[in-house]
Amino acid sequence: MANPTARSFLQVAATEEVASPLRVVQIEGLAILKIIKHCKEFSPALVTGQLLGLDVGSVLEVTNCFPFPIREEDEENEAEGANYQLDMMKCLREVNVDNNTVGWYQSTLLGSFQTVELIETFMNYQENIRRCVCIIYDPSRSTQGVLALKALKLSDSFMDLYRNNNFTGEKLREKNLSWVDIFEEIPIKVSNSALISAFMTDLEGDAPVTQCDYDRLQLSTNPFMERNMDFLIECMDDLSMEQQKFQFYYRSLSRQQAQQQAWLQKRRAENASRKAAGEEPLPEEDPSNPVFKPVPEPSRLDSFLITNQIANYCNQINGVAGQNFSKLYLMKALHEN
Amino acid sequence: MATQDSFLHLARPLGPAPVSAQFGTSPIDVKIQPQALFSILDHSLRRGKDQDRVIGTLLGTRSDDGTTINIENCYAVPHTETAEQVEVDMDYQKTMLALHLRANPKEVLVGWYATSSDLNTFSALIQNFYGQQGDGTFPHPAVHLTVSTEPGQAPESRTYISAPIGTTEERRADSCLFIPVPHEIKYGEAERSGLDLISTAKDREDRTASVVGDIEALERAIEHVVEMLERVQNYVSSVLDEEAEPSTALGQFLLNALSLAPKVEPADIERDFNNHIQDVLVVSYLANTIRTQIDLSNRLATAALTMGGGAADGNTGADGEKKEGGQRRSGRGGRGGRGGRDGNDRRQNGERNAEAAVEAA
Repeated sequence: MANPTARSFLQVAATEEVASPLRVVQIEGLAILKIIKHCKEFSPALVTGQLLGLDVGSVLEVTNCFPFPIREEDEENEAEGANYQLDMMKCLREVNVDNNTVGWYQSTLLGSFQTVELIETFMNYQENIRRCVCIIYDPSRSTQGVLALKALKLSDSFMDLYRNNNFTGEKLREKNLSWVDIFEEIPIKVSNSALISAFMTDLEGDAPVTQCDYDRLQLSTNPFMERNMDFLIECMDDLSMEQQKFQFYYRSLSRQQAQQQAWLQKRRAENASRKAAGEEPLPEEDPSNPVFKPVPEPSRLDSFLITNQIANYCNQINGVAGQNFSKLYLMKALHEN
Repeated sequence: MATQDSFLHLARPLGPAPVSAQFGTSPIDVKIQPQALFSILDHSLRRGKDQDRVIGTLLGTRSDDGTTINIENCYAVPHTETAEQVEVDMDYQKTMLALHLRANPKEVLVGWYATSSDLNTFSALIQNFYGQQGDGTFPHPAVHLTVSTEPGQAPESRTYISAPIGTTEERRADSCLFIPVPHEIKYGEAERSGLDLISTAKDREDRTASVVGDIEALERAIEHVVEMLERVQNYVSSVLDEEAEPSTALGQFLLNALSLAPKVEPADIERDFNNHIQDVLVVSYLANTIRTQIDLSNRLATAALTMGGGAADGNTGADGEKKEGGQRRSGRGGRGGRGGRDGNDRRQNGERNAEAAVEAA
């Protein structure tokens, strides 16, 4: 009796291991609206909330969500925050809402979300939920008719590395991990229940152009570009700071190597003279000597994140620039007619 | 629809007791945010098998004079209903209200919803519960929102407030006069882009839609505008051909729209266009340069080890010029790194200039 059960457990474990990778995050319109509302209301303060839903094969369904109250810096409140979450989940379960955490959402300002905190939160979530995503929403871009919604997760190889806290150049090279591989973006799909679709159809008029389209055709994107540039420059400053750190490290490393060489030569000369005098040679290694103490290598995580951030800004700028070109040429053509 | 029911239209009551003159007899105006409606519809889908309707609490904001109510949020409240009695989970309602207020301190209790258009005795009971003193909305009237979710029929929403009715205390507790009030469904600016996407999902078989990129969104917007222009053109030409009935109001409207086009000299346009396009070009060029640099440094960081030591050393000089190249290579950062920093500074200066150019534009 015991054996078959053991085997079936094993089988279960085996089948779980080959679980298909996450391909799509499917969000209900309700959850999107709730996220938008919460983020917008507190903008420009950054807010977070919990995502609820189901994990179905390669699709992660997000069917509901609830906001977290704005966190205060007290430790007391931290416990309260956890209680809030539990109470809320309990209450939602009573009315048949999917009671399964699948991740969290947070608002951002122009995509400046790649921080160490985000990774820490990810690791915390990952401990309890095997598959979780972070939905990032940027309320500042909605005035341009853009729905800046992104679903992210950490890549597996990065998580391994983070768990061992190993961000030396050597390890990274071994794993062949670069800054591109920290986050994985997952495509988002929006779905609605039949009832909501019916309702939307009933409400909507037959005008082909919505206000949203007009927003998208706005010519002035300078404020957006400007702020992107500001952030980009800030990031560049940060990056050069990081670079200085590395320079310092390499300089002290080379100084140390020179010192080691000098010490070694001295020791060899001494040994040679001792040999000539018929004495035992001294060992060529001396761990107690401060010269041989390894210099700690600064972590590359920060510079990775900054690089990610920069890449993000560059992409945004490029996107907006591309749109701008189209709009400008369109305008010119219109005026020539 | 309203034709098959009959309502008793009265002046708006002054609440359960004539407390103050702070609200007059002006009608209440109710605005419903789409996300509250979505929640209600979602709740009605998740109701128990034996439940005909489900109820919940409406949260929102009230204007200072109390005449406009904005329903922004709602949550479900479990209740059981039999032929004889109704039971609403009061504890649940209280806990949930407290939880919601913690996350959204601005919102207040404004009323309740039910997912059926029927008004019965229990409705009156619940309505009195929500409108009572203490935990309820008193002295403001509680709003009752019904959303019909009958399959096969168009969804329909109605809003009511109530007046007390009945001569004795017991009668008053379980009866009230529902008075319909006008309401509209409104969405905020921030929700526009979200709703736009959600509504694209409604026409599709699988009821899903993907998030579109910026350029595709722009393309779609242009298509929509072209479609609109064509429609107007068709209308105008059919009026000219005397196929359609001309309308003065429409003509006036079109004229107004046309006169909105700014009068600018072509030379000015040309100049502004050139300036602007150059600004955008500079910025996009810089962004691309930076992007290339990062990619390059990334390559160097991961690929340097596969090269032999000698080859790598030989590269040091070149890396110095490649600005960021030295940054992440171990063992010999000094020269490459310094070159990188100078490069950075130079580039930042370039950016600042570009910024100035953008600002000047």
